[in-house]
Amino acid sequence: MTAAVAAAVESPMGELELVVAVRGGRSVAAHQYHRGALRVLRPHYLDDSGQVCYVLVNPGGAYLGADLYVIDVEAGDGAKVLLTTQSATKIYRTPGSFAEQRMTLRLGEGAQLELAPDQLIAYREASYRQNTHITVRPSSSLVMAEVVTPGWSPDGASFRYEELRLRNEIHVETPDGTKMLALDNLLIRPPLNDVTGMGFMEGYSHLGSLVVVDARVDQALADEFHALTAGHDAHTGVSLTACVGGTTGVVLRSLSNSTEELNRLLGACTALLRERWYGQPPLNLRKY
Amino acid sequence: MLNTRTDAVAAAGSYQLALQQLTDSALPTGAFAHSLGFETYIERGLVHDEASFGVWLSAFIGQQLTYSDGLAIRFLYDGVPLAELDPLLTAQLLPRQLREASTKMGTRLLEIGSEVFPSPELAEYRELVTAGRAAGHQPLAFAVVARSLGVPRTEALAAYLFAAVTSLTQNAVRAIPLGQNAGQRLLRKAADDVAAAVERVGRLAPDDFGAVSPGLEISQMRHERQRARMFMS
Repeated sequence: MTAAVAAAVESPMGELELVVAVRGGRSVAAHQYHRGALRVLRPHYLDDSGQVCYVLVNPGGAYLGADLYVIDVEAGDGAKVLLTTQSATKIYRTPGSFAEQRMTLRLGEGAQLELAPDQLIAYREASYRQNTHITVRPSSSLVMAEVVTPGWSPDGASFRYEELRLRNEIHVETPDGTKMLALDNLLIRPPLNDVTGMGFMEGYSHLGSLVVVDARVDQALADEFHALTAGHDAHTGVSLTACVGGTTGVVLRSLSNSTEELNRLLGACTALLRERWYGQPPLNLRKY
Repeated sequence: MLNTRTDAVAAAGSYQLALQQLTDSALPTGAFAHSLGFETYIERGLVHDEASFGVWLSAFIGQQLTYSDGLAIRFLYDGVPLAELDPLLTAQLLPRQLREASTKMGTRLLEIGSEVFPSPELAEYRELVTAGRAAGHQPLAFAVVARSLGVPRTEALAAYLFAAVTSLTQNAVRAIPLGQNAGQRLLRKAADDVAAAVERVGRLAPDDFGAVSPGLEISQMRHERQRARMFMS
């Protein structure tokens, strides 16, 4: 396993670098590089806010054992970026190894980054690690949503994958150094525990997560998110992080039985932010 | 031979009583005021008797106490600086009430520890808190005191985890309510989970820190909005 991992480190299956800057009132790529099984579709603008939308594409269609994908995105000062995927992230069997995605995101002063990938599906005997390292400024605005499904197996049973690790670190660059704001670490290892029961998935199958970091985040916003959960068939918690360098995070975690229900809930929360903070309509990716 | 044995007893004795004082549920850190999320399960009717509380407690030991508190204590014994560990714990405890519970009890432990088991390490931790560079978390305050008393890592871990389990069980006995004997049966069973957790904490990797299950976190977050409640968390 170590050898396979070492090989992957030397030569990632796919690499993507993207630096977005503001030119003439619109956010455009100042630097773009991709190699191997990762690329982005031609950027487009979903509304007149100047926010550029990049769609990540994995032409291979799925992650396999020992695959390493490296993504590095920077939203420069004032840049507005929406990052999504073309389809669900699928992790196939990774016998004796694991697939890995390492993502580094940097947000400049006043930059706005919205992360809205499709759901994650891990197939039978799949192991996957997703490490996301984010650095924001106190004036940046970060919105990240994610949905994790119970996976897929030929016999229709849930949670047949080996292991899922989704680890997000969010740091704030302040005048007195870089400080950690949130460490959001999810580990689901179905062979080890009864992952469906009390204290784990509480009898639900799908997990949704929304993390927002912005100087405007406050208890009133957390309460509004909570009010939005009322109309959804999901078991949800909302809480604030500590305030670091003048910015705060709000974390929403939700358990449900369908991707659609979680997407509706996360979508309702991000729609509120898009309208209030960015003057943008609700996100409509029209992928179908 | 006799001398060695006497020395060993004396060495263990040098911290044994101190450790008992530190882990006694009478230690006034305010642990009686925290359910750390189980009150949400009581409100939902999911924790209502000895068996159902036992299920929650087992998940709490295997998740929260292993991946957060336990691993934080191990990191401190491994030599990771407090100035790094304390903010890491603040960042990892995403449910606000859980974070506040940890620093409320931690701050009390720092105060008590400074009076009864003072050490340069503990003074240093208090200074970090006073300077605003640390929040003062319970597992770290405990680990600093235990290490200064010469308590070996494994023993410190087992003592901390079992003390946490004892407080929670006593709180459950009052809140559900359960009989006193039911509480003792739960503790005996939890001892096996604690032993397994101590063993597991020793084998975890740095990246495992904070890998707490979503169900526990959601219940801790939902407690913020629970109407009738006995506990602060």
